[in-house]
Amino acid sequence: MRLPKFEYFTPKTLNEALALLKEQGEGAYIMAGGTDIVVKMLHGRLRPKSVIALQEIDGINKISFSPQEGLTIGATARIVNILSHPDILQYYPALTDAVKVMANIEVRNMGTVVGNLCNAAPSADTAPPLITMGSVVVLTSLEGERRLSLDEFFKGPGITAMNQGEIMTSVFVPLPQPRSGGSYKRISARCGVDIAPASAGTMAVFRDEICSDVKLVLGAVAPIPLRAYRTENLLRGKQWTHELIQDAGYEAAEESMPISDCRASAEWRKKMVAVLTRRTLVEAYERSKKN
Amino acid sequence: MKEFSIIGKDVPRTDAIVKARGAAAYTDDMKLPGMLHGRILRSPLPHALIKNIDTSKAASLPGVKCVVTAEDTPKIKYGNWRLFPETQDEYPLAIDKVRFIGDEVAAVAAIDKDIAEEALELIDVEYEELPAVFDVDIAMKSEAPVLHDYCPTNISVNRKIKYGDVEKGFAESDYVREDTFTVHGVSHAYLEPCSALAQVDLDGRITIWTSTQVPYIVQCLLASTLGMRENDIRVIKPFVGGGFGGKMELRTWEFCAALMAKRTGRPVKFTLSREEEFLAGRRRHPMKLHSKIGFKKDGTIVAKDLKIQLDGGAYNAMGPTATFLCGNFGAMLYRYPNYRFHGQHIYTNKPPASAMRGFGAPQSLYATEIQMNIAAEDLGIDPIDIRLKNAQVSGDKIPDVATISSCGFVESIQRVAEMSGWKEKRNSLKLGQGIGIGCYSFISGGVFNWFNTQYPFSAAEVRVFSDGTAHLLTMAADIGQGSDTVLKQILAEELGLTMEDIRMTSADTAMTPQGDLGSWGSRVTLMAGNAVVNAAKKIKEELFGAVSAHHNLNVIHEIECKNGRVQAKTRPDYGLSFGEAVALVQKANRGEPLVARGSYTPRGKGLVTPAFGFGAQVAEVEVDKETGLVKVKEMWTAHDCGTVINPRSVEGQLAGSIQMGLGYALSEQFVMDGGKTLNANFADYKMPTAMDMPLSHVTHVDTYENEGPMGAKECGEGLASPTAPAISDAVYHATGYRCKDLPITPEKILEHVEKTEDVGLESRKTLHCDLEPEPYKIG
Ligand SMILES: Cc1cc2nc3c(=O)[nH]c(=O)nc-3n(C[C@H](O)[C@H](O)[C@H](O)COP(=O)(O)OP(=O)(O)OC[C@H]3O[C@@H](n4cnc5c(N)ncnc54)[C@H](O)[C@@H]3O)c2cc1C
Repeated sequence: MRLPKFEYFTPKTLNEALALLKEQGEGAYIMAGGTDIVVKMLHGRLRPKSVIALQEIDGINKISFSPQEGLTIGATARIVNILSHPDILQYYPALTDAVKVMANIEVRNMGTVVGNLCNAAPSADTAPPLITMGSVVVLTSLEGERRLSLDEFFKGPGITAMNQGEIMTSVFVPLPQPRSGGSYKRISARCGVDIAPASAGTMAVFRDEICSDVKLVLGAVAPIPLRAYRTENLLRGKQWTHELIQDAGYEAAEESMPISDCRASAEWRKKMVAVLTRRTLVEAYERSKKN
Repeated sequence: MKEFSIIGKDVPRTDAIVKARGAAAYTDDMKLPGMLHGRILRSPLPHALIKNIDTSKAASLPGVKCVVTAEDTPKIKYGNWRLFPETQDEYPLAIDKVRFIGDEVAAVAAIDKDIAEEALELIDVEYEELPAVFDVDIAMKSEAPVLHDYCPTNISVNRKIKYGDVEKGFAESDYVREDTFTVHGVSHAYLEPCSALAQVDLDGRITIWTSTQVPYIVQCLLASTLGMRENDIRVIKPFVGGGFGGKMELRTWEFCAALMAKRTGRPVKFTLSREEEFLAGRRRHPMKLHSKIGFKKDGTIVAKDLKIQLDGGAYNAMGPTATFLCGNFGAMLYRYPNYRFHGQHIYTNKPPASAMRGFGAPQSLYATEIQMNIAAEDLGIDPIDIRLKNAQVSGDKIPDVATISSCGFVESIQRVAEMSGWKEKRNSLKLGQGIGIGCYSFISGGVFNWFNTQYPFSAAEVRVFSDGTAHLLTMAADIGQGSDTVLKQILAEELGLTMEDIRMTSADTAMTPQGDLGSWGSRVTLMAGNAVVNAAKKIKEELFGAVSAHHNLNVIHEIECKNGRVQAKTRPDYGLSFGEAVALVQKANRGEPLVARGSYTPRGKGLVTPAFGFGAQVAEVEVDKETGLVKVKEMWTAHDCGTVINPRSVEGQLAGSIQMGLGYALSEQFVMDGGKTLNANFADYKMPTAMDMPLSHVTHVDTYENEGPMGAKECGEGLASPTAPAISDAVYHATGYRCKDLPITPEKILEHVEKTEDVGLESRKTLHCDLEPEPYKIG
């Protein structure tokens, strides 16, 4: 289909990009890997006035990790580089779980984690694990930098807390707490390329056999990646038992707000929330033993 | 097994390297000087009268060179059933009425695709919406909206078959059951969307390059719809990226490309988008199948009464053939001493269904095979044994159809049971794991001549040269299945040449010999192959005569073509090189080139097919009882395709069939709402990927079909049928869920599991977690 006419910019520095973004104003879009934005443009769902590509900007494609400080993922770091990062596999396995099942090789080679977050699809695979890890996004504009908990970033399908003129320059992921474990799982009716009709990410911290803290985020079953607060409250401070996990599944299913669409019915999605919640809790618990 | 030098050998496909390199040119890759790009305006409504079309704004958009509506066409109906003109119900562009969302209303040709696309938005069509019908049961009611004035019942085809005495058969049966099955529509999803490029010659004749399975049919129907003569149209088929039945008719863009090329004097190309293919493209028929079957206590079938309603969508397309064949498929595979069939093809306001790999067999055999398993269970007989008891064998006569010649069905069942470890697995698999069987029989080409051609069904021309090479010309259409390779192999075998010695021209209606009905119905290897053998035999006769004369051979000598020589069989030293022999023949004929025509039209082979392929397949699955997701782990296939001409091509057909069968059984469907397709893209139309493919094992059962070239039959379409019933049976074995309503979705499985285990979200009872994950470990 017709690709609408637009101006295309490839700034070499962040400042140049920010200046362009301000100058172009309304209708200017940032492009990282382009695997969401170009598809939308090709289908006429997005008609940007200008596209500002980030890939030629030095220094924002880094993935840096230290066992003292945690993990920082730069705006243009590719999904494929997250997938193959040994520290991420060791310290943040739930993020590896997520990028492993995302899209296909070609899309992973182009797409970015930051783009996945900024695109703000309810089904974005990296959102649940990153939220449960307590991630903080760094939003930069000509006025300076602000930090926002990823938990407060999503406002609706395709809608975020980012202001016009801001670029997400990185996402910061704190170090996991001792005796914590994370897990991410999604449902897929087909291997390879698939958009999940339901997913769940968990991060749980244990003291003896007590679940001292937990975060649970459900994907694709609400307008945004959904924090399941009620389920978290049900789990927090409780003795870790089979019944507790069962009940958490039911609670999460009730807490979710899926719709029926061509991918699945709301009813089935709710059932899957229960299953995924339980399975991620079990895996998180197993993984916590290694930390 | 006969001894061959090239047949049955691991000969690489002639198109493999260019395709792997990306160098093969498909229609959309072609560009001609001054070429225009066409786009089609489609109906946004499922059923409406066209009150007015205003194209003036579109026509005046800079860059637009031509806009056409039905008013610019000769308004001639077309359809593949030329023998029965009343079934021809389609115009290239809608006249007065649209009948489905996506129905073609107008076309634009412009200097680029974007302008053409933009022009579509400038065409004003005034519609008066009519009530629409999307369900066959409602469409058959007397008060239902009528799609075509000529057909007030909406039932466009009624087909009946009857032999024996069905009622008496049921009365004599110990066990009678009735089941209703529904099966859904799926997309051909060929990787190359339809594309056509037409050019007008200096004398006004048309050349069209098009992605088609049926060059000859396109030639004839394009000529008739344009009011031209057949010889005024030249159809060339470039590389084609799959068809599966979706490219076997004349289509609107082919017509519009030709018409607009005529009107503008410039080449015009149309290429469909994937969205158009999903929204408006042909598809496999959804059907409702009602089957009543009677058995003796020992598992012998006594009678079967089959009623099928095909949801044809808005036009007949290839629906009449599917209706006709469903009745035949219902009586194949097993012995049915008493049989009755009633098939009805029904119009609804949906995209037309048409031919799709199996042509009615995947639907019909789904019902047959699942019902067979239900009966086996009720009668306390193993599914393998009940099949062996009723399996057709060589020499069986299907009334009004044919006497089965070669038949390796019994051996296929036995082999697949051995290969898969059936007996053991059927009794020992854990809950959640299952193994199931599906079988098939298929036609090796059709005898029916509804296209009403006066030409042979297949033809070949062979030219041989004194440099030791040959040129094979045939209209047979290689659409990716590999017929060019196989036909070359057959000629190389006959003439004792190598693959490299043979040049090939195929599927160009102005250059290759008339006729060929196209690539469908698993017909090409057998029919075009026979035509090649026939032509080669005539060449050999000439060569043998020349060599005999040259060496003054005793008349008792048999002569052969082998290893590039023409020689006495028992005295190879009495012979000549192939080229020398050709030169001798030419010299004896004042230099005339040595050329022979061959052809094949089935005769004395009944009314349906000259030969039958058979096979049996076993699937092993694992079902996640919490999610209802099915993983197909392994598949075993034993089949009888006659002589295997090219083993890898046969394995390729099997792999492709399994992939399609997986999708048909488990993941593919059109999600529709009021005639509108909601999942018109590959993200949401869940065609399985390479990563979903199970392990696969195959045995080719050794048979020889006298009617086929070198003993060959078919494997392209037959194999499309067994996968869905095999998976379905395995899912039943794993979960107790018997699917009579394809596809098998996780939701349906869960619903069953919950019903039988009395577990619901609300009841908050503990789920049985005997599958993944293991009972949650604590500590
Ligand atoms: C075939 C296919 C399969 C897919 N499968 C999956 C899947 O399984 N799971 C999944 O979650 N996604 C999937 N996607 C979607 C997509 O690939 C991912 O969301 C990817 O991570 C997007 O990254 P990108 O760099 O390509 O984003 P882009 O397309 O470049 O950008 C996406 C959006 O974010 C904005 N943006 C990007 N970077 C910034 C920034 N630094 N600051 C501000 N705004 C920014 C853009 O303006 C745009 O609106 C799939 C896509 C395709 C085409």
